[in-house]
Amino acid sequence: MADILSIGKSALAAAQVGLSTTGHNIANASTPGYSRQVVIQAAAQAQSSGSGYIGQGTEVASITRAFNEILSKQVVSSQASSASSETYAAQLSNINNMLSDSSAGLNPAISSFFNSVTDLSANPSDIPTRQSMLSSAQSLINRLQSTNSRLNEVRNDINTELAGSVNLVNTYAKQIASLNNSIETAISSNGNTPNDLMDQRDQLVTELSKQIKTTVVPQGQGSYNIYVGNGLPLVIGKSVMSLTTTSSPTDPTRLEVAYQSSGKSTVLGTNSLPGGAIGGLLQFRSESLDPIQNQIGQIALVLGDTFNKQHQQGVDLNGNAGGNLFNLATPTVSASGNNTGSAIVTSQIVDARAITTSDYRLQFDGTNYKISRLSDNVVLYNDPAAPTPASLPTPPATSLDGLSFNVSAGMAANDEYVIRPTRDVATTISLAITDAKKLAIGSSTLSSVANTTNTGTASISVPPAGSTLTGTLGLTYASGVPGTLSMAPSTQPVTVTVSGVPTVYPAGSPITYTSGATISVGGLSFSITGTPANGDKFTLSASGPSDNRNGLLLAGLQKQGTINNSSTTYSSAFAGLVNGVGNKTRELEITSAADAKILDQANTAMQSESGVNLDEEATNLLRYQQAYQAAGKMMQIASQLFSTLLQLGA
Amino acid sequence: MRISTNSIYQSGISRISSLQSDQAKLQQQISTGKRITSPSDDPVASARALEISSAQSANTKFADTRQTAQLKLNTLESNLTSVTSLLVSTQSTLVGAGNASLSDTERGFIASELKGSLDALIGLANTQDASGNYLYAGFKSSTTPFVANATGATYAGDSNQQLLQVDAQRQMAVNATGDNVFQGGGNDIFATLSNLVTLLNTPITNAATQAAYNTGISTAIGSLKGSVDNVLNVRADVGAKLNELDNLDNAGSDRALQYSKSLSALQDTDYASALSDLAKQQTIMEAAQKSFVQLTSLSLFKLI
Repeated sequence: MADILSIGKSALAAAQVGLSTTGHNIANASTPGYSRQVVIQAAAQAQSSGSGYIGQGTEVASITRAFNEILSKQVVSSQASSASSETYAAQLSNINNMLSDSSAGLNPAISSFFNSVTDLSANPSDIPTRQSMLSSAQSLINRLQSTNSRLNEVRNDINTELAGSVNLVNTYAKQIASLNNSIETAISSNGNTPNDLMDQRDQLVTELSKQIKTTVVPQGQGSYNIYVGNGLPLVIGKSVMSLTTTSSPTDPTRLEVAYQSSGKSTVLGTNSLPGGAIGGLLQFRSESLDPIQNQIGQIALVLGDTFNKQHQQGVDLNGNAGGNLFNLATPTVSASGNNTGSAIVTSQIVDARAITTSDYRLQFDGTNYKISRLSDNVVLYNDPAAPTPASLPTPPATSLDGLSFNVSAGMAANDEYVIRPTRDVATTISLAITDAKKLAIGSSTLSSVANTTNTGTASISVPPAGSTLTGTLGLTYASGVPGTLSMAPSTQPVTVTVSGVPTVYPAGSPITYTSGATISVGGLSFSITGTPANGDKFTLSASGPSDNRNGLLLAGLQKQGTINNSSTTYSSAFAGLVNGVGNKTRELEITSAADAKILDQANTAMQSESGVNLDEEATNLLRYQQAYQAAGKMMQIASQLFSTLLQLGA
Repeated sequence: MRISTNSIYQSGISRISSLQSDQAKLQQQISTGKRITSPSDDPVASARALEISSAQSANTKFADTRQTAQLKLNTLESNLTSVTSLLVSTQSTLVGAGNASLSDTERGFIASELKGSLDALIGLANTQDASGNYLYAGFKSSTTPFVANATGATYAGDSNQQLLQVDAQRQMAVNATGDNVFQGGGNDIFATLSNLVTLLNTPITNAATQAAYNTGISTAIGSLKGSVDNVLNVRADVGAKLNELDNLDNAGSDRALQYSKSLSALQDTDYASALSDLAKQQTIMEAAQKSFVQLTSLSLFKLI
């Protein structure tokens, strides 16, 4: 009877454990990371008797969690990829959205700038038209600056987010290490697994993998070793290493992730930190943000420089040679914070049309100076002689991408410098002219015209650049043997050079006409070629207020290939940028959707193993309830049997 | 397969929210009328649309420039009309001057009339446009082009033609310079008139002066005719250019229409397909919501 009672008791106890475990499962049905727990029941040790082994009831062998290590690893690794592509896509979509407004992009500003140049070419002497060209140049600058400042905001946000992610990683690492400790202690004290602690730790690992690529290596005593990125140990049992953020040695405004171990911190490159939000941020910055910002800078630089060069060819309303319309910064040179030498490196734009969107690194290994292009790591210069503009190939040699470098003495071995020709141009660009009269719409080339009413066939050459003339010089041909040219005004002696033999005519006297002879007077030389007719006139004159020749050339720049070695127009370059961003965003939308799908599947598989199904728990509840009731009934029967015996004795 | 209760809710929610985002996208396309709301929707079409917008803007600018050219040529044309009628009336005056019965005094009257014509002509040649630029001075538009002197007038402008970019491939000269209009072709109209005034003011006293007078008049008639022809040539040229501008305008509007059509094809929402997509999405959404509610309302706990 005692046996029956105790068997009943063991059944009652087991049913109670089953009920409370089911209750625990129901309670935690929506707890993130919770694995359903299962009661493993076993028959109690039987008692040997003459008639055989008599069962002694049941006992709860253990309470385990439904957990599959392989499925969990799949979740962790797909979580890292998904977080990475999602972060990248989210960051890039900022830029994608910024470019979405076709009226707010760079192209409308470029178009309206050149439209104002065209307007001015039609009315070169009109001051309000000149003023409005200056205004639209300023609007173009504003547009460039606002575009770049938006990109700089994105850049700063990355710094903030990196710091936040690194903080989270360190917090998770500490929590995992402390859970490692608790779990190890629990297991070693009674051999049972602390299921809820283990769930918590696995949940932390999943959270960690959202920030950074995480690899888990379970150890024998129940603790986890955690490796991040490309295998950097973060948690080893109870000890924790940490990540930190630090400014890039060559760019103080750029935070990099560094690994700290035994008091030493090492900056980790983008390639050693794939996956997770951190991987996505770093990848976005180096693969998309840097090139995009450099492309905007390149458009600003080439537009500004080519416009300036053409503007310098002109003369302004005051008759002076044109200057620059845009102020453009020279390439930014950043010395590494680790440099030990004292050399000063400068860089200049030699040929803006050859400028690429890449940054450059100048290194000194103790013997050779090496300049490499960072976009494709091509070495452009590797020579024991320090680069100076004189020692470099002269433009238009393209091997140095339109840049010149100048290195002063004092460079120490392993010093390095990063040169960014385009990064800040769109921010620093400004107007160099405030006086609308200084817009050089006229041409500095003297005009030489054979009058349209001429009946002969002679033509007059364009005087070479640098020729000077005040006012107008008219020439009239008089036929005869030989034919002569008379000049008005004729106040200076004239030198006529025929086949290298000069003849000087005094001021005021007509000169003998020879086809193709070089006629020099004052600071001016030209030639008339062909057969003029009697009375034919030729006029040479300097620019006047209605001269729009340079204006037409300036307006024509818009249609010219200028960027990337004169292959691309300004607006095509911007359209190319938009196309690139659109394509990449689309690609990332697809990748991140696919990664999310994979993560979803891994999660579903994991949930299918570990998740709580309430219907199942309802069944279990019924099952344990009935087991409990049955055990109770059994004890009742045992009690009745006992009282039957007692009644027999009475 | 075992399905956890969480998964049922999770997948239901994610499916409904993805349907919602599809609907929001369609709604945006319908309400903005734009198929492309950001470059990633269609990167190729986005870039193409930017290039077409640039071309469209340049095309509009050419039309503006053509208007400026038209204005300048019309101003020139109307001034040249005045010049022509002045020259034609001078011609008829000159025919009268050939009458042998005129007295010195009568010739004096003609002389003063011609002097008036000369001054009027110099005035016309020194006409300024609405912005104060001299019409016939070439690039030196702030310099008075003709300065009267004893023998007519000297030209202080230059011979430069101001070209305007009236179309992508066409630069058109929109001015005529004074040396070509008034002094071209070997006939200096100012010298001719000035000489005539001197000639008419010279008394005829004998056969020799009479002969000189007759020769002078006939030379003047010849060179005046040359000058008229010259001005008419310039006018013909201006007329041809105005005509060309009209043609360019037509071609330009055709192009503008073409650009708008291309832009619309690239960017605009196809309402028929967008609306039918929206209706389809709504049906799917309703089905998803209903099935989700039905599925989640099934629970064993309701029965125990």
